[in-house]
Amino acid sequence: MPQDANNVIDHFELFRGPEYQEMLARKREQFENPVDPTELARVREWTKTEEYKELNFARDSLTVNPAKACQPLGAVFVAVGFESTIPFVHGSQGCVAYYRSHFSRHFKEPTSCVSSSMTEDAAVFGGLNNMVDGLANTLSMYKPKMIAVSTTCMAEVIGDDLNAFIKTAKEKGSVPDDFDVPFAHTPAFVGSHITGYDNAMKGILEHFWDGKAKTVDALVRVPNGKINFLGGFDGYTVGNLREVKRIFELMKVEYTILGDTSDVWDTPTDGQFRMYDGGTTLEDAANAVHAAATISMQEYCTEKTLPMIAAHGQETVALNHPIGVEGTDRFIMEVARLAGVEIPEALAMERGRLVDAIADSNSHIHGKKFAIYGDPDLCFGLASFLLELGAEPVHVLATNGSKGWAKKMQALFDSSPFGANCKAYPGKDLWHMRSLLFTSPVDFLIGNTYGKYLERDTGTPLIRIGFPIFDRHHKHRYPVWGYQGGLNVLVTILDRIFEHMDATTNVPAKTDYSYDIIR
Amino acid sequence: MSSLNQTIQDVFNEPGCGKNQGKSEKERKKGCTKQLQPGGAAGGCAFDGAKIALQPITDVAHLVHGPIACEGNSWDNRGAASSGPQLYRTGFTTDINETDIVFGGEKHLFKAIREIIAKYDPPAVFVYQTCVPAMIGDDINAVCKAAAEKFGKPVVPINSPGFVGPKNLGNKLAGEALLEHVIGTREPEFTTPYDINIIGEYNLAGELWQIKPLLDELGIRILSCISGDARYEEVAWSHRARAAMMVCSKAMINVARKMEERYGIPFFEGSFYGIGDMSDSLREIARLLIERGADPELMERTEAVITREEARAWERIAPYAQRLAGKKVLLITGGVKSWSVVAALQEAGMEIVGTSVKKSTREDKEKIKELMGQDAHMFDDLTPREMYRMLKTAEADIMLSGGRSQFIALKAGMPWLDINQERHYAYAGYHGMVELVREIDRTISNRVWEQVRKPPPWEEEGAANWQSRAMASLEAEAEELAAARLADPALAEANRRAQAVCMCKGVSTGAVEDAVIGGADTRGAVSAQTGASTGCGACGVLVDQIIEDLSPLLQAAE
Repeated sequence: MPQDANNVIDHFELFRGPEYQEMLARKREQFENPVDPTELARVREWTKTEEYKELNFARDSLTVNPAKACQPLGAVFVAVGFESTIPFVHGSQGCVAYYRSHFSRHFKEPTSCVSSSMTEDAAVFGGLNNMVDGLANTLSMYKPKMIAVSTTCMAEVIGDDLNAFIKTAKEKGSVPDDFDVPFAHTPAFVGSHITGYDNAMKGILEHFWDGKAKTVDALVRVPNGKINFLGGFDGYTVGNLREVKRIFELMKVEYTILGDTSDVWDTPTDGQFRMYDGGTTLEDAANAVHAAATISMQEYCTEKTLPMIAAHGQETVALNHPIGVEGTDRFIMEVARLAGVEIPEALAMERGRLVDAIADSNSHIHGKKFAIYGDPDLCFGLASFLLELGAEPVHVLATNGSKGWAKKMQALFDSSPFGANCKAYPGKDLWHMRSLLFTSPVDFLIGNTYGKYLERDTGTPLIRIGFPIFDRHHKHRYPVWGYQGGLNVLVTILDRIFEHMDATTNVPAKTDYSYDIIR
Repeated sequence: MSSLNQTIQDVFNEPGCGKNQGKSEKERKKGCTKQLQPGGAAGGCAFDGAKIALQPITDVAHLVHGPIACEGNSWDNRGAASSGPQLYRTGFTTDINETDIVFGGEKHLFKAIREIIAKYDPPAVFVYQTCVPAMIGDDINAVCKAAAEKFGKPVVPINSPGFVGPKNLGNKLAGEALLEHVIGTREPEFTTPYDINIIGEYNLAGELWQIKPLLDELGIRILSCISGDARYEEVAWSHRARAAMMVCSKAMINVARKMEERYGIPFFEGSFYGIGDMSDSLREIARLLIERGADPELMERTEAVITREEARAWERIAPYAQRLAGKKVLLITGGVKSWSVVAALQEAGMEIVGTSVKKSTREDKEKIKELMGQDAHMFDDLTPREMYRMLKTAEADIMLSGGRSQFIALKAGMPWLDINQERHYAYAGYHGMVELVREIDRTISNRVWEQVRKPPPWEEEGAANWQSRAMASLEAEAEELAAARLADPALAEANRRAQAVCMCKGVSTGAVEDAVIGGADTRGAVSAQTGASTGCGACGVLVDQIIEDLSPLLQAAE
């Protein structure tokens, strides 16, 4: 065999060797019922046609390559943002393993999360015993200050009642009576990870504000001048929250970040393992009820949470993942208005720098066509930034986008001459996107790591912005919010444009007459 | 250095240049390009001029003899496209060090040439002199000669160290090197009555290639292009062409003129920019070839191609012309582009509010006047501050310029389009003009400019906008100057008087004022006395203004 102990080669090279190639070819012939290559080519070409696209869009039962994740993933995201809080997912442990690996593949960091490990018995008789034992074991093993409970589908299908279960568990002494165990029902067969974020955040705030499941009196709101901040489910949470804090400090705003994950997913390597690094203290979470207002960066991540907060008497503002000049302007001005502060000159300077950078590079993005997919708010933020840059976000697709979202997107398109040929696709998947990229091609695709298959199949260069990003490292450490974040997004887009330019002009004596050092 | 001095004097004596011939013997010795002003932001040096003129010869190894500064900053920074060899993009330099300065760099240079020939075997090596070896006395002519003999290969000295003058002079010195060492040293395999040279075309962004298919269609062969996408031997046998077109204004007029003198190749100056210019150039090429013996039916075919191509271009521009009609353009460029682009933009219905003529010759300026009328706003040496002010006061919709001026436009919030060497689109020929108009349309309609001009939305209504901010900073500066005037009136007055009225003849405000006070009370009288406004004539209005301003004074004196 070609693998040689003195010169071990990796899989890139190894399986290109003749022995392996022959083996794989034999397998294809003998076991794979191969079709005629011309037939294969015909079908492949057919999938690029308008006819195929129509059939594809007529699909009503099958989802192919969905661009969304499940509710409990969002719930886990929320829980880790609170002080010494462990997410406890009531249901099957396999699901929990997924959330942990999903996060660690994106953030390159561990995520603490436990499960009640329900098995077949539990599915038949209910998961109460798993809850009772699970809470007790979690407390004794991991010493959290709070256990935030959410559910997987398994518990939801059999109808486990979290409120009653947690009460019973406390009666049985699993955890002390006054131990904080907020909960949220988060079935994956409803909504997506952004719904899970919403439910879990609402569950935790309600727990603290409304009397901890009727075990204490509800808090009486005594309004102060503080601002609550909700980031929503965000793959850039580390960079973004730090940037937002910096902006708040510059503006001298008193704030509480609810679910502060800024330190969770880039803990330092300094000899200490931080099981918990959520930044919102339980005290702050409770006191957040007194704030003057709450600002949410992602409307569709907080559809239930914000009305709940509003019902407590606060003013609420929902943004749509603001990216770029206009989006950030709106964010900054809302914060200034809500907190009653002046916008400092330092931010005006940052704004001017972003505008300057945009002007410097305008000709490379202006007039280009883009396809975007991702979470509904991110799609909105990116599309409005592209419109600002004079680009056309032709296809904007959110598998977890609603009809209301599509309407809002359409209003955005209608507000700009560059939006004339743009369309939003709610509830569609990446196989729909594949058809769109063939029948009405664009210059660049913006999406998460899964877009690389679309890039390969359709030849549309992929700009990686979104969640999850598994195959590029550390993007989450850089903000996409604020003027600085806008600059990062601008540079990310430009880098890909220039890489593409270089890659398509580098054939010696054929295309390299345009392989220029100045772009 | 005497031979370099002679060459420079020779270049200054260019009989093909009317402007030069109009000067007195003494003036001519001072040079044909404006003296550089110490303390001002300056353009490129003679070395840079020589390098950019010759670097487009793609199969030659361009070796820069000097410290890293010269090649480090000039290496492959022009978008002159090649259809084959890439050697011209490889940065060769002797990268001399202190030891070389002390002991001389000639041996170092010789060895570098040897290594290039051993490793790359190019058809020729061009050796560029720079300031430092020129000052320590390295004789690159001798080294090149020795190397050429030793290796049996052309090694061409390009004697144009930076300190001898500006870029334009470097262009010409590069031309001199070609005339002396390259042109006429090879013979083409065959010649035809349809062979032409194109001189001063650099194939930036592939512009030459946009023209070539039309010439191919007419059966006209580009025997040699100096120097866009050229090969060494092509330049070496260029003396066998029947006619020549000189493209880039006066940059290489010496090459065209001397080739006419030595080899009887007639030339004309033309432009590929603009539909009318393109057609005129094709006609002129055909006319010269027919004069030299080509079949007169060539003209018919040329006219047919012109009719067809013009119609096609107009048809494609029409949809843009509607949108661009009345849009105001400020043009900051130099040389040939100052008028050739004017024609093109006017074709698209745009209005030119001003054009700079810093690197333009008198002919360039006259052509601008022909196109834009006597009121043409021509600006010589625009300082960034003046450009900034113009962008505001002229209320231009877009500025077209080279990369260096772009930031003035951008900081003022002005749409800007690159039309110099770093551009990424080819604007030559019929197709190129459609492309330029399309790019202007694309730039003007870019939503970014709206954004750029908007102040932060939290600023109150009526607060400073981009224009008022620009003007405020200018006013603040004017106030500072006024304060300085109070502080030292004599110096301020001297500065004011030193400001040039006539750029062509270098006549200062003070000289004109003295003439007026001395009794010259008409423009003609002032011109006769000082020479002001006898060049391009653009400053006539300024002279009138001075007469008007001073007349109350004079009357009072009477």
